[in-house]
Amino acid sequence: MIELRDLALGTPDGSWLLEGIELLVPKGGNHLITGPSGCGKSRLLKVIAGTERPARGLVRVDGREIWPGDGVLSLTERVRVGFAFASGGLLSNLSVWQNVALPLRFRGIPAEEVRVRAGAALERLGLQSVAELRPHALSASARKLGNLARVMALDAELILLDDPLEGLDAADRGRALGLVRGWIADATKTLLIALEDSTPFAELALDRLELRAPSIPLESP
Amino acid sequence: MRFLVRLGAPVRGFLEFLGDQAHLVLRTLRHALLLRMDQLAVVGGQTKLQIRFTGLDALWLVSGTALLLGAVTLIQAFSQLSGLGAENYIGVLMVLIILRELGPLLTAVLVIGRSSTAIAAELGAMQLNGEIDALATHGINPYQYLLLPRWLGVLVSVFALVVFFDAMALAGGLLVAKLKYGVTFGFYMDSVRQALSNLDFAATLLKVALFAGAITFHACHFGLRIQRSQTEIPQAVTKTVVSALVAVFALDGLIAALFYF
Repeated sequence: MIELRDLALGTPDGSWLLEGIELLVPKGGNHLITGPSGCGKSRLLKVIAGTERPARGLVRVDGREIWPGDGVLSLTERVRVGFAFASGGLLSNLSVWQNVALPLRFRGIPAEEVRVRAGAALERLGLQSVAELRPHALSASARKLGNLARVMALDAELILLDDPLEGLDAADRGRALGLVRGWIADATKTLLIALEDSTPFAELALDRLELRAPSIPLESP
Repeated sequence: MRFLVRLGAPVRGFLEFLGDQAHLVLRTLRHALLLRMDQLAVVGGQTKLQIRFTGLDALWLVSGTALLLGAVTLIQAFSQLSGLGAENYIGVLMVLIILRELGPLLTAVLVIGRSSTAIAAELGAMQLNGEIDALATHGINPYQYLLLPRWLGVLVSVFALVVFFDAMALAGGLLVAKLKYGVTFGFYMDSVRQALSNLDFAATLLKVALFAGAITFHACHFGLRIQRSQTEIPQAVTKTVVSALVAVFALDGLIAALFYF
């Protein structure tokens, strides 16, 4: 599903943040990307999603060349990608419900099905009471859950999660963890999770890519 | 040599800017052609919002400005030309000054002030918050969801506002002509109709199309270039206003030369 070859990410001062990244994630595979803050985990996810251009290297998703290429537009309408951002990512002029429903509406899914799927995702993550609020009126953890709800409602095939548990209280963490574990167990979904602390997934047999600041990956199974 | 390099830099910058604009327009057109029927509701909804903001919400401002302008134009014209049979030139004056030139031009200036600034600021804020990345990642094509509705919305709005502007300016002129100089409605309208030609309609339509494109894509260009911080937003807004004004005046001059020179 994901293929990275000789990937390099630069920094504004011209040095390498990451260099020589090689990664192969098969369809249905689950991968943890770990490393200290600032080592390039989030940027690596954005490169795979096609929203950031790498300094060098090849990125292929579901057989399609993203880089070098058209980036995210190569994936639009071809692969259902869900990205839960570490911060932001929800449209500020739409309510949480509208944010969750928009990708479904744009795919031309019938209104009734959109209502059911968005409602189920919001209920699963305990967001029904804030569904009509806009992101700026929500807590940071609710915004994070909103991102997860959007991924869930979309029923994404490729799921990219950027620090999905960071800043969540115990109850929210439990909900999010339950959802992510469900995705891990689902063989139809390919999952990449960027985390600073991999303890919550320690007992699960996940492949890992460990990054270390400022450069050079340690391993890529 | 250094002098030549310094001289060439702004030219290269300008050509790059034109290239970027052409790239945005062509990509938006290409992605517009790829729209599916079941996506029209979402894109149409966004277009309606843009029409409401750019067109409907600006209606009173444009109508009031046009009414005053029409009245003032006739007051000034009559004050200079009274005694020279100025009433015979009412139609020519209104068509030359208002319908041909000031109607489309002032409407575009008002839309630049109200809407292009808003579009640039909104897209810039979306870019900074990662909203555009989030849209694209989740399968929502930004050309179809953001750029196309803004373009269509501004196009429809500018067209409607120019029609309103012209109508209200003529009404303002009629008010002055009737109250101060006793010109009848029939005489006034006949005079305007005789001065109008099909060329004026064609030139106005061309202006509407080009002004709407220039306004939208200048705003999108500067808004989408914001990458680093909130402080870039006011800079982008200022650049949008200056650049769009220059573009609109340049296009106006070109069209005038093309149609009437």
